[in-house]
Amino acid sequence: MTDRITNSMATASLLNNLNSSLGALQRTSDELSSGKTILEPSDNPYGASQVIDLNSQLEGLSSYATSTQDGISWENTASSAMSSINEVVARVRELVVSAANGTNNQSDLNTIALEVEQLTESVKQDANTQYAGQYVFSGTSTTTAPYQAGADDEYQGNHETISRAIGSGASMTISTDISTLLGNGEAAGGDGKLLDTLRTIAKDLQGGTPADREALGSTDLTNLDANIETLRGLQATAGSTIDQLQSALSRNEDLQTAIAESLSNTEDTNVAATSVTYANEQAAYEAALRAGATIIQESLLNFLQ
Amino acid sequence: MSVGDITRVRNTYLDAQYRTQNSALSNASTQSEELSQAQTAFNEPSSSGIANQLSAFWSAWNSLADSPTSEAAKQAVVAAGEQLTTTFNQLSAQLSTISSQAGEQYNSLAGAGGEVESYATQIAQLNGQIKLAEEAGQQPNDMLDRRDLLLDKLSGLANITVTEQPDHTDTVSFGDAAQPLVESTKVNWPQALTETAGGQLGALLGLTGPKGALTALQTSLDGVAETLASTVNAQLSTPFFSGKTAATLAVAVNAGEVSASTGGAAGGNKAALAIAALRGGSAEQDYASLVGQVGSDVRTAKDDQANLQTTVTAINDQRQSVSGVSLDEEMTNLITFQRGYQASARTLTAMDDMLETLIEHTGTVGL
Repeated sequence: MTDRITNSMATASLLNNLNSSLGALQRTSDELSSGKTILEPSDNPYGASQVIDLNSQLEGLSSYATSTQDGISWENTASSAMSSINEVVARVRELVVSAANGTNNQSDLNTIALEVEQLTESVKQDANTQYAGQYVFSGTSTTTAPYQAGADDEYQGNHETISRAIGSGASMTISTDISTLLGNGEAAGGDGKLLDTLRTIAKDLQGGTPADREALGSTDLTNLDANIETLRGLQATAGSTIDQLQSALSRNEDLQTAIAESLSNTEDTNVAATSVTYANEQAAYEAALRAGATIIQESLLNFLQ
Repeated sequence: MSVGDITRVRNTYLDAQYRTQNSALSNASTQSEELSQAQTAFNEPSSSGIANQLSAFWSAWNSLADSPTSEAAKQAVVAAGEQLTTTFNQLSAQLSTISSQAGEQYNSLAGAGGEVESYATQIAQLNGQIKLAEEAGQQPNDMLDRRDLLLDKLSGLANITVTEQPDHTDTVSFGDAAQPLVESTKVNWPQALTETAGGQLGALLGLTGPKGALTALQTSLDGVAETLASTVNAQLSTPFFSGKTAATLAVAVNAGEVSASTGGAAGGNKAALAIAALRGGSAEQDYASLVGQVGSDVRTAKDDQANLQTTVTAINDQRQSVSGVSLDEEMTNLITFQRGYQASARTLTAMDDMLETLIEHTGTVGL
């Protein structure tokens, strides 16, 4: 403790205190007006790196949400194409059953064969479905249609898979290898897949021999049923992919809420508490100014006549 | 009556204390100032800092993974990459500028005609004048005060030790210079200093030295840039980034050369997915801890500065308490002396009265 208090000491100390009061007041006012407690890293070094980390996670989640949504749309497109194939195949089955059992003459059978050929073409069109300009059933050859119109039934795509990022370090395959269902047609030497089976059915309808008619009710129907099984499998996979993507999306939203909350806890100003602090600091600053204005003016000189 | 002499009231112990702490304060202020500039250059947390642009860069790759054949998505990846590299380049340039400005500041303070030389020369001159005055039996108070003031100022530049010689000259050793800066009337400058010199000069040397905080920031930033470039390039057959330092980092490809996969069909997206999965990886973590490092460097320097400021103020108060003028005290003394003078005058009046009585009113003896 100092023994003598000189005027310059009083002035210097007042100025010092005024400065620190005003500094605190300005800091609090910055926090209030910006809404943030961390204005620069030195305000809270650990908090600042946390804010960077949380912001990055948040941005990541929103990016994953977009991808997941995109994956759902893709898979919906593929799924509805497969439903359409399913309808076609069901119609073909009806035709085959009626052709095998009925008392149709050859010209009726030829008409049925014509319809089957048209249905075959529409299966190939379904397989050529596009999502956002990309063929969904071509593997990664998304710019090439998997099947060409006409007699050539060979698969034009590849067997690579396509995935979407659905979370940090998590991705999900969204592509369906349609060639496991449709096959390569007759070019592959009769692979028993859907296109080959459909072509065989049309041939058997047109053939007219008892053996052909016999085949319609037996091998053709069996092959068709086997392909329907495969199609159901593919549809089930697509359906469960959609389910998983949707649950990933809702988990993503939950996480976004949680992270946004912890980000807010880390960097946002507690307005109520800060306002109270601000009022206190303002009062302190005013008191300091008032005291200064009074004390600095006074000395013994004022009281001597 | 005559005024004998006016002695300076000073406590040399407090002077030495003040100069030591002032040196440390000036060291901390310089560090805090320079590091704050670096912190401002980082511009974090904000929407335009590297952290945010890194995030946007990963998102651009993820969008490319969603539509690998889209030209727009490829353009977006290149644009995000270019924005990111530009920010790296700018930050690196700003850090270099801060370092080189610190170097220039050192040169202008310590170089020819700088503050060190100017203070030292004035002190040496005062040493000579004080010695002459003391020899002549005078009290050169004015010159002594001026010399003390110069020594206070000099203490801000580096640590100083002042030794008063029997002939009343001051020998001043400065920082970790080999020779005393001022010896009687002789000035030894320029001399080499190192970062242990203390004060502003020590801080400037320390920050920009090989182990200094500014150098460390630049090195860490280069590390982040290199990690970013190598982790991204590792996923691609055509390197996306060129350059291995923050200053030279650049996007090496145009939109047409960007591919979401390494070979294979156009719709493949494995490479883009792999790059998008680098989000939150080592480049980003290193950068976040670098920002934390800048923050705690500045925080430490500012805390040091605030503590030392309190100490310096306290010591200065004590010095003022010894040497300063209290108006109350002086006025009290003034009144005391004035009253004393009045009392003396009154005594004189009384004697005059008595003598008058004696001379005028006593009888005319022998006349």
